[in-house]
Amino acid sequence: MERNEVKLQEILKARGITEERLKEEQSREIPAAAESFQRIMDIYYLLKVTADMESAYWYNRVWWENDGDLLEVRRAKAVAASLAHSTPTILPYEKLVMNKTKHLRGAFPFPWVCASFFNSLAESLMEEVDAPAENEADSVSVVGAGGGNVTESYGEIISIAKKFGMRKEDIPVLVKVSKYWDGISVEDISTKYAKTLPDYEQFQNIMDSVLVMFDSFAIPQGREVMNYYMPLQYGFDGILELCDQKIAETMGEAGGDGVLGMSRGYYYVAMKEIVKGLSRWCENYARKAEDLASREPDEAYKKNYLEIAQVMHNIAHKRPSTFREALQLTLCLHLGVVNEDPQSGQSIGRLGQVLQPFYEKDIAEGVTTEEEVVELLELYRIKITCIECFASAGVSGGVLSGNTFNNLSLGGQNYDGLSAVTPLEYLIIEAGMRAQTPQPTLSILYDEKLPEDFLMKAAACTKLGMGYPAWMNNQVGMNFMLRQYGPEGMDLYDARAWCLGGCLESAPGCFLPLEYNGKITMIPGGASPTCGTGIHFTGLPKVLELVLTNGVDQRTGKVVFPPHNRKLDTFDELLDQWKKYLDISNRIVNKVNNIQMDVWRKYNMPAVNSLLKPDCFKKGQHIGNCGSRYNGCINFESCGTITFINSLASIKKNVYDDKKYTLEQMTDAMLHNFGFRTAYDTGVFSPDYRESTDQAAQYAQIFADCVNAPKYGNADPYADSLLREYHMYLLHYLPTIESFFGKPEYLCQISVSTHGPQGFITLATADGRLAGTTYSDGSVSAAAGTDKNGVYALFESATVYDHSQNQNAQMNLKLHPSAVQGVQGTRKLLELVRTYMRKGGFHVQFNVVSSDTLRDAQKEPDKYRDLMVRVAGFTQYWCEIGKPIQDEVIFRTEYEEA
Amino acid sequence: MAAIGHIFDIQSFSVHDGPGCRTTVFLTGCPLQCRWCANPESWVYGKHLMFAQTSCKWDKGCDVCLSVCPSGAITMAPGQPPQVDWDKCRGCTDFPCTTICPNRALKQCVKVYTSGQLLDILRRDFSSWGSNGGVTFSGGDPITQHDFLLEVLEGCRKLGIHTAIETSACFPTQTFLDVMEYIDFAFIDVKHMDSAAHKAGTGVGNEGILGNIRALKESGWSGRLVLRQPTIHGYNDSVENAKALIAFMEEVGLYEINLLKFHRLGQTKWEQLGKRYAYAAGGEMTDEAMAALQALYLDAGIACYVGHQTAF
Repeated sequence: MERNEVKLQEILKARGITEERLKEEQSREIPAAAESFQRIMDIYYLLKVTADMESAYWYNRVWWENDGDLLEVRRAKAVAASLAHSTPTILPYEKLVMNKTKHLRGAFPFPWVCASFFNSLAESLMEEVDAPAENEADSVSVVGAGGGNVTESYGEIISIAKKFGMRKEDIPVLVKVSKYWDGISVEDISTKYAKTLPDYEQFQNIMDSVLVMFDSFAIPQGREVMNYYMPLQYGFDGILELCDQKIAETMGEAGGDGVLGMSRGYYYVAMKEIVKGLSRWCENYARKAEDLASREPDEAYKKNYLEIAQVMHNIAHKRPSTFREALQLTLCLHLGVVNEDPQSGQSIGRLGQVLQPFYEKDIAEGVTTEEEVVELLELYRIKITCIECFASAGVSGGVLSGNTFNNLSLGGQNYDGLSAVTPLEYLIIEAGMRAQTPQPTLSILYDEKLPEDFLMKAAACTKLGMGYPAWMNNQVGMNFMLRQYGPEGMDLYDARAWCLGGCLESAPGCFLPLEYNGKITMIPGGASPTCGTGIHFTGLPKVLELVLTNGVDQRTGKVVFPPHNRKLDTFDELLDQWKKYLDISNRIVNKVNNIQMDVWRKYNMPAVNSLLKPDCFKKGQHIGNCGSRYNGCINFESCGTITFINSLASIKKNVYDDKKYTLEQMTDAMLHNFGFRTAYDTGVFSPDYRESTDQAAQYAQIFADCVNAPKYGNADPYADSLLREYHMYLLHYLPTIESFFGKPEYLCQISVSTHGPQGFITLATADGRLAGTTYSDGSVSAAAGTDKNGVYALFESATVYDHSQNQNAQMNLKLHPSAVQGVQGTRKLLELVRTYMRKGGFHVQFNVVSSDTLRDAQKEPDKYRDLMVRVAGFTQYWCEIGKPIQDEVIFRTEYEEA
Repeated sequence: MAAIGHIFDIQSFSVHDGPGCRTTVFLTGCPLQCRWCANPESWVYGKHLMFAQTSCKWDKGCDVCLSVCPSGAITMAPGQPPQVDWDKCRGCTDFPCTTICPNRALKQCVKVYTSGQLLDILRRDFSSWGSNGGVTFSGGDPITQHDFLLEVLEGCRKLGIHTAIETSACFPTQTFLDVMEYIDFAFIDVKHMDSAAHKAGTGVGNEGILGNIRALKESGWSGRLVLRQPTIHGYNDSVENAKALIAFMEEVGLYEINLLKFHRLGQTKWEQLGKRYAYAAGGEMTDEAMAALQALYLDAGIACYVGHQTAF
């Protein structure tokens, strides 16, 4: 058959048809990952997600030893101690080292942020029994039962939050450390003040109904982009010197700011503490490597350990002088930040542009080779994949599906407005193709200026079916930056530095001048705190349900909103009431979250991150004091947009326009689940599972009319115009809500995987979705199975409003592998992306895997341990995803099957 | 723009039906009745019913279709899935069972469009095809509805849309050439070089088809023509047949062919229409056999593509 391929090429060339090879790329043998990668992954697959108390113990100890010190200094000392006392672990074959904890796949609890969970469990933990679900949100979240998750206790291991395993000997430490924080954790103090709100009960009712998921302190950092500039430019020792200079300049001086001016001196003292902690952490690894080398008989291993020792010793003090040192340093900083708070979505940013100067020098001087760099990048993937977030089951299963979204962005524009693609970025994609791990997920900042061969390589990677890279629209992102951050001085240069924080949160950045290799390179990096953490995941369809039920949650029988007692004679009145309920929810939830985040920033201000984020060091203010360049970053997160829009379309059509049913009849049908058994009852959450009850016949017609009502995603203006109206409303409404930073909020539309749990608590909806099943995912994906006019019509519907109005818009597509075979297939996949981008779509991502494969994998998870899928902005191992989300992915419309 | 067309599917991001990314329009009606047909729903010109029993939730207690069927064509015995009496169903015009069925097991096949309505859709998709894509007319055989097709093609030409067609070429020569004048890229199926065998497989002989291919080449038509052949073991996979086709291609001056390995993806559609599928067993080609056939064409200097590995 090889002969045929060659012969066909000859004929095509002779006939002048094409000079393009038809196979290659896809069938190009993708080189195997490096041996080091494979060896470590073999270990990884066996590892369970582990929590231990070492870091937490040291944080707690040093915090209390410094009782009475200024808070920012005390906090920095505690974080530094937790890093400096972390036992270094180095595996044979590792070239990049450092973990969050002494375990490869480890994490630890943060009782100073949230203690009640552990304190309430103290007794039961000590009795070594399974932890009960902690609140409503947790009890409706189903964590994937396979892979590394520890969903149940076994042997000497206790399961915590249905995900983490903690060894029994650590449990008394957990219980004792947590006791210190009883009543004074961020959670407790903020709750104390939130309770002074006259309508605090309203807040509780909302949270109990799971209409809104999660408190802000659950993950107060993340959904932002790292900035590695300071240590790359100055090295740790250099920063210490800078701190001394700054202390000399600012200590004791207000600098014209009577409120925060004096804090500057203390900030630099705190920064010295944290830099010393980071440096000691690196030194510990250097010493560990030396120790291993001294006892290692094998010369090759010994050499490897000594190299590690050299790298770690160098970066503990000096600015990096090789690509490997620079990569290791960014990893150290990344782990340092994710260790200072429970967090997800701490994104790597545009690493291939940040590290390009180091790569370029090493290659030019023959210090390293492309293959060696690819190996390091492969090993880097394991390191990022091992980052776990210790949070409750609700957060780790409900929101994150176990992924911590350390997103790596590629492409976009550089400081001068040209293609930012670097040679190193090709290798980052190559490493992602050879070394297939869920993290870091890759995002292409698609711009018409990017080189075609780079886009083709990225498309070829998407085709492999790991779910990355996803595709984001660079121009739309830049426009959003200018819109949202313009009032804070965002200009075109800074707008070009944006990228993805978290899975899909557009985050502002800036370029800073890195002096290296005898020249200055403007490198991009994040320039804001968390671009999330406002009003979390609000189930829009649930708000509509409560309008129809006059404020009562029929699932639990509890009153969520005060009764409106309106007759809702017109569609406009219905929509008006929805806006009113949403506003009640937003106002109170925002106040409570503001309190939570304010308490957090006062006691728990970022230490490592406040060193890194521009312009904290310049201003002498930590992130909590608005030290960052941009602070208008707090958002409102929606969930179930399309389920909501389709429900509105059905009600508008069936009740108000055609007057076929009264609103009472419609509500009655929803309350009776259209005559079908509920998912709560059957345990099957697949959107297309329907089992009739005795009442089925009674509701058959109304159900058919709901199913047949106009649906978003078909280029049908009836439904699409409702989406546009919704967006135009939120565009002007949300900025009326003010964050704790004193800035206007804006719309974020990532469901992550909350469409599972929030769907669970929502009754049947007027679009024909049954009770308890998932909402539509993303924000502009069609509801499963309802887009009948093909993907071009879907794109048309999705772009009926300007996507740069919001932080993001999310489109998930499933493609059958046969649709994108060969080079022509790569080209056509890229064409599909380009089509959407040209229309102004912000984001599209693909699952290139057949439904049959997914169904097999659901039945026999062990056979598919390494199968990955894209869920809602991130990639995760199939077997580590909860079943409702699995069902939803399977059901998602598959384009171009056969 | 008033001509009426009967269309049973419009597929977007269609990637195997011509150059680039395309929208493929499937029109009903076909002069051939191939025993392996993958789109048998195209054989009926007008609206009709399809019933996908695998999607039916009768076993979960659903029986809503029974009460709405105006002709009593749908019946259900206890413990059995619904049965459709296709003769009784034939006279139906509004198919109420398809709107009540919540599972889309009962579907109305074929929708009616004016040429203006279809052009609106194509205009909408125009921006999605990229540089070398366009519309492909398929079926059935789209030339069956030539008046409608010509109106749409004229519209496409005005808009500057790239046009492709999948046709049997089994029409009166002038009708065929009138349509082809508007076509930029064509697939023409040659199922068999032996006319008797062609007739056995498709219901018609191949003389008209081969004659039209010759006439097309002689007409000075400037489009790109790729022959296609569904390759079926035991029917048209012989060396002899391939050699005859190669000789024909050399004679006429054609140098591109796309061999499509036999597949059974259309089988369930036959069942959904209440028909028996003649190729329920047999006909499979191995990859090796396909490669051997491909080699014959390649040795003759003909660009022979197998399956989706095409140069477009």
